[in-house]
Amino acid sequence: MKKLLAGILALAMVLSLCSFAVAADEPITVTVFRGDPGDQPTDDNKIYKMIEEEFGIKFEIEFLAGDLDETLGTKLVNEDYPDLFDGGNSAEKLINAGALINLLDYISEEKTPNLYNHIKDLLPQLVNENGELFIIPNYGINYNAQIQNACNGPAFFIQKQVLAWDNYPQIKTLNEYFDLIERFVAAHPDEGYEGFAILCEDWRHFCLINPVQHLMGRPNDGEVIINVTSGNFETETFIDKDYAKPYYAKLNEVYNKGLINPDTFVMTYDQYIAKLSSGKVVGMFDQTWDFGTATAALETAGMYENTYIALPLVYDESYGFGVIEEQYLNGAVPNKDRGFGISVSCEYPERMINLFENLLSDEWQKILQWGIEGEDYYVENGRMLMTQEQYNNRQDATWKMANTAVAIWESAPKKQGTQDDGNAWAHSDQPENYFALMSEYDKAFLTAYGYQKPADFFNAPCELAPYGEAWQIDTAPIADANQDFLAVQDQWLPKVIMSATAEELDANWEAFVAEIAPYAQIKTEFMQAEVLKLVEQATN
Amino acid sequence: MTGAVNNTPLLTKKKKKSIFKILWDQKLLMLMSVPVLLYVLFFNYYPLWGWRYAFQNLDLNNFKKGAEWFGLGNFEWLFGREDFLNSIRNTLAMSVINLIVGTLASILLAILLNEVRNRGFKRTVQTVTYLPHFLSMVIVVGMAQNMFLTDGPINNMLIASRLIDKPVFWLGEGKYFWILVAIINVWKEVGWNSIIYISTMTSIDPTLYEAASIDGAGRFKRILHVTLPGIKSTFVVLLIMNIGHLMEAGFEIQYLLGNEQVIDFSQTIDVFVMKYGISSGNYGRAIAAGMFKSIVGIILLFGANFVAKKLDEDTLL
Amino acid sequence: MTAVQTQKKVKHPMQRDMVFPIVNGIILCILMFVTLFPVLNTVAISFNDGIDAVRGGIGIWPRKFSVDAYSNLLSDKLTYNAFGISVARTVLTTLLNLLFTSMLAFALSRKEYVLRKFITLVVVMTMYVNAGLIPNYLLIAKTLKLTKTFWVYIIPTMFSCFNMIVIRTYIQGLPEALAESARIDGANDMRIFWQIILPLCTPVLATVALFVAVGSWNQWFDTQLYNGSKKNLYTLQYLLKMKLATSMQSANAANTSVDALVNATKSTPVTVRCAITVVSAAPILVVYPFLQRYFVTGMVLGGVKG
Repeated sequence: MKKLLAGILALAMVLSLCSFAVAADEPITVTVFRGDPGDQPTDDNKIYKMIEEEFGIKFEIEFLAGDLDETLGTKLVNEDYPDLFDGGNSAEKLINAGALINLLDYISEEKTPNLYNHIKDLLPQLVNENGELFIIPNYGINYNAQIQNACNGPAFFIQKQVLAWDNYPQIKTLNEYFDLIERFVAAHPDEGYEGFAILCEDWRHFCLINPVQHLMGRPNDGEVIINVTSGNFETETFIDKDYAKPYYAKLNEVYNKGLINPDTFVMTYDQYIAKLSSGKVVGMFDQTWDFGTATAALETAGMYENTYIALPLVYDESYGFGVIEEQYLNGAVPNKDRGFGISVSCEYPERMINLFENLLSDEWQKILQWGIEGEDYYVENGRMLMTQEQYNNRQDATWKMANTAVAIWESAPKKQGTQDDGNAWAHSDQPENYFALMSEYDKAFLTAYGYQKPADFFNAPCELAPYGEAWQIDTAPIADANQDFLAVQDQWLPKVIMSATAEELDANWEAFVAEIAPYAQIKTEFMQAEVLKLVEQATN
Repeated sequence: MTGAVNNTPLLTKKKKKSIFKILWDQKLLMLMSVPVLLYVLFFNYYPLWGWRYAFQNLDLNNFKKGAEWFGLGNFEWLFGREDFLNSIRNTLAMSVINLIVGTLASILLAILLNEVRNRGFKRTVQTVTYLPHFLSMVIVVGMAQNMFLTDGPINNMLIASRLIDKPVFWLGEGKYFWILVAIINVWKEVGWNSIIYISTMTSIDPTLYEAASIDGAGRFKRILHVTLPGIKSTFVVLLIMNIGHLMEAGFEIQYLLGNEQVIDFSQTIDVFVMKYGISSGNYGRAIAAGMFKSIVGIILLFGANFVAKKLDEDTLL
Repeated sequence: MTAVQTQKKVKHPMQRDMVFPIVNGIILCILMFVTLFPVLNTVAISFNDGIDAVRGGIGIWPRKFSVDAYSNLLSDKLTYNAFGISVARTVLTTLLNLLFTSMLAFALSRKEYVLRKFITLVVVMTMYVNAGLIPNYLLIAKTLKLTKTFWVYIIPTMFSCFNMIVIRTYIQGLPEALAESARIDGANDMRIFWQIILPLCTPVLATVALFVAVGSWNQWFDTQLYNGSKKNLYTLQYLLKMKLATSMQSANAANTSVDALVNATKSTPVTVRCAITVVSAAPILVVYPFLQRYFVTGMVLGGVKG
């Protein structure tokens, strides 16, 4: 009897193991939400087919089409969660709503070595106060050396022809920059040049409100400046401080010389891009990715000399802030709380973790970032290379729908930087690709400076501060004050710049500082507390 | 057949019938109307329980917190803000300007078209003028923004014709904003909105025009005494309906055309709610503002309807 | 009442007066030019090279001809499926909406109907009260469980108050005698509606049908809310909106290499937006001339006297 029972039990165990094994590979359809717009992949997409064959997983992807907050709001109220949930730029909402599972319950050195190694160094910075991790960053985790060919972030920009016209000077300070622009425009009175443009539209107002921190020698922390050298991480809003005024006073001077068009304060993004594309705007403060279309338009029209080069400007000594060393480039910033989370309604979290674990392997990373060897790239002397056609394909929207898994890849954890064999993880970072595709004009331009790449105008990236970059901090708890803090700047700074006289400028500035003070104080206190919290977490 | 004889108002007045008899007689009318009534109650009224959020502080950013009763807190917050009061003013001002300019323009277009004898020309004009209705606001506003630049075509034209001596900063000064919105709205919708008046005019009895002509009325007299009275009831009913909609000045056009330089004049209630309600996750405020708008709208509607009734005009209700 | 009268050609005796027609003609021509320009401009941009178009300054003719903006839209198989869904929802919504709206309009046009005032009040108020996004969403998604179904396009849009008033007013304008004689012949209300009133309403129904159809055709938000994860249920407008959003996204996403962007953005948001306008408005413009006949004569809007 006992034997029989044992036999039955054993059989049952074998059966259940079998059924478990089957269950693990049983084909499933995973629902996915992406907090960004995107094109639906075709039904016969070659990469998704490979994923389906290997993991038995099919995706049903929903992209964002309307307003992100509104869309997430409805999903959260109804508790209608997809299996893989990417909340885009509002992913905090998912975490706060308890829609995601703690990934650390599933990640361990033994079971998921790829994921474990991927995040282990950053873990103190990534987890929340309770030591939970809901989202693995989709970008910003580098392997080996970080590749920085050009400044992709904020900087002052100037048309390359202006530097060429002045015989390739080194422009390091605000005064040198505007002096050059002034001389250039004065020397070309009939060309209709506009000296300096400032985009102020909606969230792109960083072109108006962000420069001061960089002039003071800090990388991008959004609207606050943080003292990283004292060890106390003193945090303050900079726009209302005395060291901000000289920048806007300078702009006022430039405005009154007729180098800034008043339309700049009311123009839309489309109008801004159209203006830059016309080749008539000499300089601006912006971030490289923000005006890529304009650069593309200029290049397509063969107007290479009108394209822009990024310059790291600071206040010179005459401003009385001492000698400031520029530090525009920052260490790689893990894109905290951005990317896929697994929702609480997902029935197979292990398989999802398993999927990401496998996709993070070197083989799959190559497939996701470069494609299939022989079809999408080739290898020569150990270097991964692309023909012009293969490279073009990879940028083509229609081709991508059938031949890449971009919708999953963008939100999934990924390897960036350099592979162990020296190739770049991202095909667009591979130096051969970058330089093979650079225009002859650009090559000659850089050579004139004795530089290899546009990033050579900048100091090397500094080490990332323990709090990351402060613009990442979620300001939802002070949403109203933050909204007003920004609105006051948007309203007053153009007035300051357009002041007719020095007295008016002073009066406008004082009125501005008085009006923003209460909001600036709330913001400063909030950010200071958050920064300290992050530093403490990261150093423990 | 029950309905056959009993349904005429004449008979119901003569005989005093029991309410049950009347209800029975009108069972087919009920069959035709009550399902729609139930449908409307379910789809339009049942969700109004959502108005309770106006008295709660539901934070879409932090669900765990849940919604708590907040009394009139959302309303107090809204009406305590100067820029919300400002946005009510802007909403009403733009609505009223749009209503007046828009209505006059579409009636004028309808009258001009009504006077066209050539059918082909009439149809062409009509088709062409309603086309912009199908353009998205983004496109239309984008075009307008280029037209009204300081060095744009409008300023160049005005300077060339010596109406102004230096460019007007149309997009950067608040005082022009309302009028710009009116111009763009008319430009986009005048053709579409005039359709309703054109159709009404086609239904005016042609013999009235003949009679007027025989009486020696000229073209303008005929327009004054035949055409305008002919569209009066349409005009009044539309007016009542639109007065009820005065709190809806739109969102898209102000959001697209506005900027921080003109915000004191451009921000409507809907734009305000987007910023301080939806985007910041403060759902209660959005609902409170929506509720306020609905209630004011209904008051305006009944007011307009009441006035129309007193003036012995057509009414909506 | 004129609506049932055949249009008599009236010769105005003022034809010797030529000044007004000429001035009128000129005014209308200017108006046509002013309204036609944005439309032609949109079409021209849609057929322009994407990168070239961001520089602005295109008039009514493409500067650098290209169909790239369309090829991305039309090469996607999903577009054709979405077109089918859009047609199906538009046709079905229009038919059902006309049925329910005209039925109610008929009932409320009857002065003796005891529930007339009450129902009118309840229904008219719906034009002014709105519960807001989330309660409406919960009703459809949670109470009715209509998400991820085709019916979510139909069921919530079966009635419209504005159109009911239009039809009701039209019916009130019809000669009383028609219904009266039918009644004496023993017809009940249902038969009067179906056999007498409805056929007479063809013109106004055509007008209302266009309003409903245009509204239903242009709707994209319900797809986003309820069927975003079901690509087989995408409507054309939703898909087009998504294409535009994607193209705006990729215009920003170009990171290290600008040449990558040149390849990626053969079409730019500027051109895609215009191509989308053309693609989505075209079917309506094709149908319009067939309806225009009724459209012009069909509308009589008035109210209840007293």
